[in-house]
Amino acid sequence: MTAESQALTPAGSASGTAHESRRGISNPILGMLLFISSEVMFFAGLFAAYFSTRANFVDVNGVKGWPPAQFADVLKLRFEPIPLILLATLILITSSITCQMAIWSIRRDDRRGFLRAIGVTFILGVLFLLMQAIDYSQLFSEGMTIGSGPFGTTYFTLTGFHGAHVFGGVIMLGVILYRGMAGQFSARHHDALEAASLYWHFVDVVWILLFSILYLL
Amino acid sequence: MSSSPRKRPAPDALVAGVVVVILIALVAAVFMSGWGDTLYPPKAVTAEGREIRGLYDIVFAVAVAIFVLVEALIVWSVLRYRRRPTDVELPVQTHGNNLVEVIWTLIPTGIVLFLFVISWQTLNHISVVSAAPDIRVHAIAGQFQWQFEYLDASGKKVATQLAPVYDTTTGEGGMAVPVGRSIQVTLDSPDVIHAFYVPRFLFKRDVVPGQTNRFEFTVDANEAGQVFRGQCAELCGTGHRTMLFNVIALTPADYDAWLAALTAKSNATPAPLPSGPVLNVTAEGIKFDTTSLEAPAGTPFAIVFTNKDPSGISHDIDIKDASGTVVANQDTINGGTSANYAYPALPAGTYTFFCSIHPGAMSGTLTVK
Amino acid sequence: MATHALTPAASTAYRGGLYEWLTTTDHKKIGIMYVVNSFIFFLVGGILALVVRAELAQPGLQFLTDEHVYNEMFTMHASVMLFLFVIPMLAGLGNYVVPLQIGAPDMAFPRINALSFWMLPLAGILLVSSFFTGGAASAGWTAYPPLSLDGPLKSPGSGQDLWIVGVILIGTSSILGGINFLVTIFKMRAPGMTLFRMPIMVWTILVTSVLVVMATPVITSGLVMLFIDRNYGGHFFDPFGGGSAILYQNVFWFYSHPAVYVMILPAMGVISEVLPVFSRKPLFGYKAFIFATAGIGALGFSVWAHHMFTTGAVFLPFFSLLTFMIAVPTGVKMFNWVFTLFRGQLTFSTPLIYAIGFLTMFLIGGINGAFSASVPVDFAIHDTYWVVAHIHYVLFGGSVFGVFAGLFYWFPKMTGRMLDETLGKIQFVLMMLGFNLTFFPMHMLGLAGMPRRIADYAADAGWNDWNMAATIGGFVIAVSILPFIWNVFISLRNGKIAGDDPWEANTLEWATSSPPPPYNFDHLPEIRSERPLFDARHGQTGH
Repeated sequence: MTAESQALTPAGSASGTAHESRRGISNPILGMLLFISSEVMFFAGLFAAYFSTRANFVDVNGVKGWPPAQFADVLKLRFEPIPLILLATLILITSSITCQMAIWSIRRDDRRGFLRAIGVTFILGVLFLLMQAIDYSQLFSEGMTIGSGPFGTTYFTLTGFHGAHVFGGVIMLGVILYRGMAGQFSARHHDALEAASLYWHFVDVVWILLFSILYLL
Repeated sequence: MSSSPRKRPAPDALVAGVVVVILIALVAAVFMSGWGDTLYPPKAVTAEGREIRGLYDIVFAVAVAIFVLVEALIVWSVLRYRRRPTDVELPVQTHGNNLVEVIWTLIPTGIVLFLFVISWQTLNHISVVSAAPDIRVHAIAGQFQWQFEYLDASGKKVATQLAPVYDTTTGEGGMAVPVGRSIQVTLDSPDVIHAFYVPRFLFKRDVVPGQTNRFEFTVDANEAGQVFRGQCAELCGTGHRTMLFNVIALTPADYDAWLAALTAKSNATPAPLPSGPVLNVTAEGIKFDTTSLEAPAGTPFAIVFTNKDPSGISHDIDIKDASGTVVANQDTINGGTSANYAYPALPAGTYTFFCSIHPGAMSGTLTVK
Repeated sequence: MATHALTPAASTAYRGGLYEWLTTTDHKKIGIMYVVNSFIFFLVGGILALVVRAELAQPGLQFLTDEHVYNEMFTMHASVMLFLFVIPMLAGLGNYVVPLQIGAPDMAFPRINALSFWMLPLAGILLVSSFFTGGAASAGWTAYPPLSLDGPLKSPGSGQDLWIVGVILIGTSSILGGINFLVTIFKMRAPGMTLFRMPIMVWTILVTSVLVVMATPVITSGLVMLFIDRNYGGHFFDPFGGGSAILYQNVFWFYSHPAVYVMILPAMGVISEVLPVFSRKPLFGYKAFIFATAGIGALGFSVWAHHMFTTGAVFLPFFSLLTFMIAVPTGVKMFNWVFTLFRGQLTFSTPLIYAIGFLTMFLIGGINGAFSASVPVDFAIHDTYWVVAHIHYVLFGGSVFGVFAGLFYWFPKMTGRMLDETLGKIQFVLMMLGFNLTFFPMHMLGLAGMPRRIADYAADAGWNDWNMAATIGGFVIAVSILPFIWNVFISLRNGKIAGDDPWEANTLEWATSSPPPPYNFDHLPEIRSERPLFDARHGQTGH
């Protein structure tokens, strides 16, 4: 009987099997995947609202069509002279690649490589947020706000909540960077990094969807 | 299971039979006493309502049967299988039975599919909306009063009923319809979601701002002369409980006369401004533009009242005295219209003027001296 | 053996002190705090209901001359009962019981567990504070726009905003809890505890947690959008600004329908624990039960628009068909429960009495819900008191009765003391009588045409007697809570000592002391079936 109870760890070590997963993925990573699932559903609600609003949209003159004429120019303008949002998209995609490189590095126990890659990811994340902020200030100066009809509301809500999630991700990456510099990660122990990178990829995928749906469709 | 030597438990079948008989007797007693009528909707007065009632009867019968069956099993088990002092050994440890699982999955599936099909058929029958109904009514639900616009065949408005509730003393008010004709109602709201509900029709439909809902009904011919109560059935704010209306069933001839009278009233030139002092009041945004008015005592006076709220939001200016007795009761006017209200001479004192539909938000002090 | 031969007063299981309770990450203490916090809000929600019933006893406005206050009463009654009582109470029972039943030392993320709990009193204070900061939300717990938007005659003021923030906090607490349960159940079961040997309580918490994790974020998004419309000039739901009121309803019910399964499934889990123990037979059809539970969970995502049949904006046949179909797995469970009792040896302790009460009450609630699945019938009964009858038969007759069955069943494990049986039976009789007197007449009221959410009704509508009966019943329910409170009070001090396994039960929580030590188990019996303790007691090695 006692042999089986040895598999149980005392309540002090919180995640029990974090270090040696008996099988499958570890507790923190499973937890992060489930959390990401819940975030997917949150964005699903916002996207559903976007699609429904867009499909039913009729402007003040009774004209269907999206984006509404008054904002089509606003969107186009911001593609010149610098295609800001396109650049931001590329930056975010690159950051996902560097994030994955960090994972590959630490799995090989290349701690310097991991720190470099995570540092670059962090900086790229911050850059994305800055670009988003510039985009917003340009729109505000052109008179478009969250109250600017359904178009303004959906645009700022979707990009705003995505930005908030990027912000959360940047904080997460900052913590990982800090802990990494303190030497807390190795090839055997880096669950927190795996979890954070899963979240970061999720944030990137949401942006690719968002960008395509808002700008390309 | 062993039985005690001193007493023999009744045979299972007998107890089971008694339980079932008692339950059936209870149910029968309920229905035979007439008390069971309360478990049915009221008698329907439209063709569609009678279809819904027929469907209800079937669903109800199935519901009672299932309840009696399952409840009998529960009661039976509770009575028969109490643990006795002689029950020392465990009962048979039945883990389950795949066959019965299949049976009590398939049979209920059959039952619910049957209920779905008959519901769907009834739904199709009652959802008919024709291109050329006999009568068209456009019901507007605003906080907190119903309005009914009567439209001609091309959809043009010919008359507006601003008094949704039937007054038994004056015979005025309500949404009159001819029996035996198809009535098509379209529903609109200028503010929040409401619902058009007439219990005797066994029917309701939401009034959704931004979306025009539409349904049809035909009142049975033998209901001519009846007045049916209706009420808003979707929470719409602080006056939700007061959003009442009546549907009045008339013979086609009586209806034609009723409509002619309403048309005349709707198109009548407004009453001229009475002589005497005249006050000006505007209502907008569910507020009067003033909260204090003055009028001389002992002289009839008038108020030119402009309702600047959107069409569908009605207001009026009634007056009550310090003890709460209403001393002037005016007809409501629709948003986007104005009226000349005449008031009787009032003795000096402090009164309250208020909108009878929005008394909380719209009231003020009338000083008469 | 793991029994500590100590009187509970000297038990080492609970290190006392306020600091311990405020900082604990022990799932057992957290579970107890969930239960206590939820019960407090049960009382708050109950008082709000009594105000509603007092006003409706007779036609005419007696106490609440301002209908706005009445609207606040029923809005907050429902919001408090659903979000601060039913869901967290069941989560709390699950929190206490699940790690024990799977032989784990705690939940997967104990600190997040504590965070999930403490968000609840905070959110509750936020919600209740709205009464004192200019008025609570008053647009119904469903908060449909445009009524819930800003504007005169709609929902100006901070009440609706506090409501939104409070509910989002509660939803977040729920989601974190759901994640915790799922990782715990999937990753921390004791050796030998395969998924198909888990107690049904654990299975219902598992399915519930999937619903919580997948559905709750959708209402979060809807409430966020409502907040933006109310405070930042947004146009999601404003029909006169390019938005859609129906969009809100779809987003709202996409969560709120699965939410009702969140509110009932763990209670069904409790029933599935209690019936076998007090019948001395296994649960009939254990695997069928699991499939039925999973089926209800899956189907539960596909029926949301049956709350919107009268809007004219729904594809009616699809939602009607699937709503009818949910009756099938529910029926399977009902039959399995009844056949657990059938040919058993029943001991009528209070847990079993409540479980049997659950069976009948939930049967009625399930049947009267089927009426609404039929769209034309729903046209007659939607938004009337029939629906109020339905929701209370399933939520009170179902969930609340299940909660009391669970409280009487697990109180001995949590505290080491038995609750008094006589008081329990008095409570049950009063509650059963009061409950049926309150809610059965509402079927009649709904059929007779009484709409929901009205502060007053016409004296000549024919509704007076049923309303008076319902009010009397409501106060009887209130009285029935008193023996329970007294029972807990005296039993904590002087209740019969429970021992490890006072009920001769089947599952692992009874294989340790009452209350258990902080690490739960000194040793575990061999796990070869879904009744490991039963097997150990009867020397069996599985089936």
